[in-house]
Amino acid sequence: MLAYYLRLALASFRRNPGLTALMVIAIALGISVCMITLTTYRAAAKNPAGDRSGVLFAASIDSWDPDHAYDEGETDPDTGKPLAPNMLTYRDARALFASDIPDRKLIMYQSNDIYTRADKGMEPQYFRTRMTTADFFAMFEVPFLYGGPWNARADAGPDPVIVLSKEANQKAFGGVNSVGRIIHWEKRDFRVIGVLDSWEPMPKYFDVSNGAFEEMEGAYVPFSWGQVLELGSHGNTNCWKTEVIDSYQSFLNSECIWFHGWFELRTAAKQQAFREFLDNYVLEQKKHGRFPRPLNNYLYDVDGWLKRNKVVDDDNKAMLVLAFAFLAVCLVNTVGLLLAKFLNAAPTAGIRRALGASRRDIFWQHLTESGAVALAGGMVGGLLGLAGVWALRAWYGRFVDQALRALPFDANNFLIIIAIAVGAGLVAGLYPAWRIGRAAPASYLKVQ
Amino acid sequence: MDIRPILSALLRNRAGAFLVALQIAITLALIVNAVYLTTQRVTKIGRPSGIDDQNIFAFWVTTYEKDYDFLGMLREDMAMIRQMPDVIDAAPMGQVPLSGSGNSSGYYSLPDKKGEESPANTYETDDHGARALGVTLSAGRDFEPNDVVYKQTESRERFYPASAIISSGLAKALFKDQPALGKDFYDDQSHPIRVIGVISHMQGSWVGWDKVDRTLLYTRVEPPSTQYVIRVKPGSIDRVIAAVEVALRKRDPNRVLETPMRKMSDMKRRSYAGDSLMAVTLTTVTTLVLVFSALGIFGLATFNVNSRTRQIGTRRAVGARKLDIVKYFLAENWLVTSAGVIVGCAMALAAGYWLSTQYQLPRLDLYYLVGGVLGLWALGQLAAWQPALRAAKVSPAMATRNV
Repeated sequence: MLAYYLRLALASFRRNPGLTALMVIAIALGISVCMITLTTYRAAAKNPAGDRSGVLFAASIDSWDPDHAYDEGETDPDTGKPLAPNMLTYRDARALFASDIPDRKLIMYQSNDIYTRADKGMEPQYFRTRMTTADFFAMFEVPFLYGGPWNARADAGPDPVIVLSKEANQKAFGGVNSVGRIIHWEKRDFRVIGVLDSWEPMPKYFDVSNGAFEEMEGAYVPFSWGQVLELGSHGNTNCWKTEVIDSYQSFLNSECIWFHGWFELRTAAKQQAFREFLDNYVLEQKKHGRFPRPLNNYLYDVDGWLKRNKVVDDDNKAMLVLAFAFLAVCLVNTVGLLLAKFLNAAPTAGIRRALGASRRDIFWQHLTESGAVALAGGMVGGLLGLAGVWALRAWYGRFVDQALRALPFDANNFLIIIAIAVGAGLVAGLYPAWRIGRAAPASYLKVQ
Repeated sequence: MDIRPILSALLRNRAGAFLVALQIAITLALIVNAVYLTTQRVTKIGRPSGIDDQNIFAFWVTTYEKDYDFLGMLREDMAMIRQMPDVIDAAPMGQVPLSGSGNSSGYYSLPDKKGEESPANTYETDDHGARALGVTLSAGRDFEPNDVVYKQTESRERFYPASAIISSGLAKALFKDQPALGKDFYDDQSHPIRVIGVISHMQGSWVGWDKVDRTLLYTRVEPPSTQYVIRVKPGSIDRVIAAVEVALRKRDPNRVLETPMRKMSDMKRRSYAGDSLMAVTLTTVTTLVLVFSALGIFGLATFNVNSRTRQIGTRRAVGARKLDIVKYFLAENWLVTSAGVIVGCAMALAAGYWLSTQYQLPRLDLYYLVGGVLGLWALGQLAAWQPALRAAKVSPAMATRNV
């Protein structure tokens, strides 16, 4: 029966090729615009931590100005209370790191770029650098190509070891296994201990303070080298307090925030214990005249952290709404056109009814026709959408945040889009098909 | 003209009329807000920066040996670059306006954090900085060589400039309508800074910041790294970039030059990329929506004409003129459009309210709504025009024929 209905649909398309093309284009354009904005939205809204999202926590404690909340006017998405800073002071970072509640823990910051020679006689190279403690690699499941991470003992030293990204290793050593080779930096020799495989989580969830789609670092060095070599922050540094800062040490002791702390807490009990630890720490510090604001601490899992930092921006949301409004216009348009088309062909349906077709037959016949239109529209729309995503990457990828560089092109997306199109087309066809099926055959036969 | 027969005819194809009205309603809500948002973005992108942003490029120069003679390097590099052909001026600068990367501090019109308070983007440069940016002074003087503080080594201490050239945006924020020239303003530790010059307009680093026009220049040079900002004659930028890179590498290979060197026009485009993407998307969708609405109206009108051929013939046979038929269909269309427009106004206002809470934008300007309503009425009449004319051509003899 389906084959017969499809043949009838084909005949109907041939009768009104223009109208049919119009419906296909309407669905195709609506679908493609939705596909493009959905892809952009999903790229931004992705949580790259996957199933580890729920056990990794960023600490945010309110060490800010008594007169002004941090990010004044913004509120926490869950509690509606004022936000606390999204970075830590050096003293607080060290204090939280000293807790033995977490299963794993790290503190880190984005340091100045390293400008160095990999070997004498080579052109000087520079790498964007992250100063971090050892658990970084395990907590964020960083893949290694050669060698491996350093350990907690190397953090304490600090040992002169360095981990390079795949790209940095390419730049410095031509991509060979460079474990054990030396990088000269700040007049010291750093030994390459590991080389990462390609690793580019988007968004860069573990540190969004400089933008969620910022380039990855080229080199990772034990955290304490930051203090030994007196390295400032390449990322954001925010201060509120009027205090004399005349040396690196006084900068470390200041209320300026430029550090991040992440804590792996695998059980609800540990999460609760760590929340209490944070509150107790702040209450204790209050006794020493620090933390002048009311107690306001947060422990965000990765999802919460991405929301708190507004990684999906308002433009993304507005465009998504716009795209679906556009799809709605296209679908309403299609319903109208289908209705007009079916009613125009009503006498034919009347004859079929008179010859014995049931209402239900007529309904299914016309619904098949709608489905066929939608399928065609979905396929054209899917291709248009792919072309649109490609064009976005080509034209804007260089300028817009790297989010667009990471737009996924997958077959699944394409199939989902076609399924949505067919679904939408069938919904659009329901009313016209029902309407034509309900029409009494006699009224049409009379006119004939 | 009596609209009762039109209404009763419309009610016979309620669904078709309802769908077109619904489509028009969504269309109105969508385009009014889209055009409003687009206008905002286009205005934002088109604002003047006050800087000669099409003829400037910049790059980091970094030294990595602790005992490297940074100031000597800078002196010789600048002397060489400034006399190269097509170069108007060059200066070292800590951050570059329009780049998305910058420093800001809070300032006050009185000591002890009193008086007017304003943040500003700060730019650390030498006595060629203002000329290298191509900004115009509306009052006061440019920096002179002995205004510049040269540090031999990297210092951890905070630097307190004694004088600054400030943008008129900052001057207005701190001093309201008083002339700023010659006055002092203060940082958060009450160090006074004398205003020696006022720039008529200069944007800072973050184009999305509502205080982007509050900027100040002060003069200090310090190791180990800085950006070279070079302004060239129009049309020569690519040539100069290539020549500067070769000349700098030849003069001294022992530092790291950032390549490719960045044109300020590219930085600006990058800073506004989100806005321009939004504007392009909104414009595209608006156009498509209008086209589809027109097609929808056209489709309904065509259907109505086709299904009423006999009725039209009868009317013609009993004396209706061609003009009456055209008027009839146009009026019918106008009724449907109007119904859509009324619902659409409510939807547009609701969507506008939602957007204004999302973006902290002023509420949707009602002129846009009026424009949208008039536009859709016109669009509706245009789309129904051809079917109406076709209807007028129906011969009175049709009344006697079976279709």
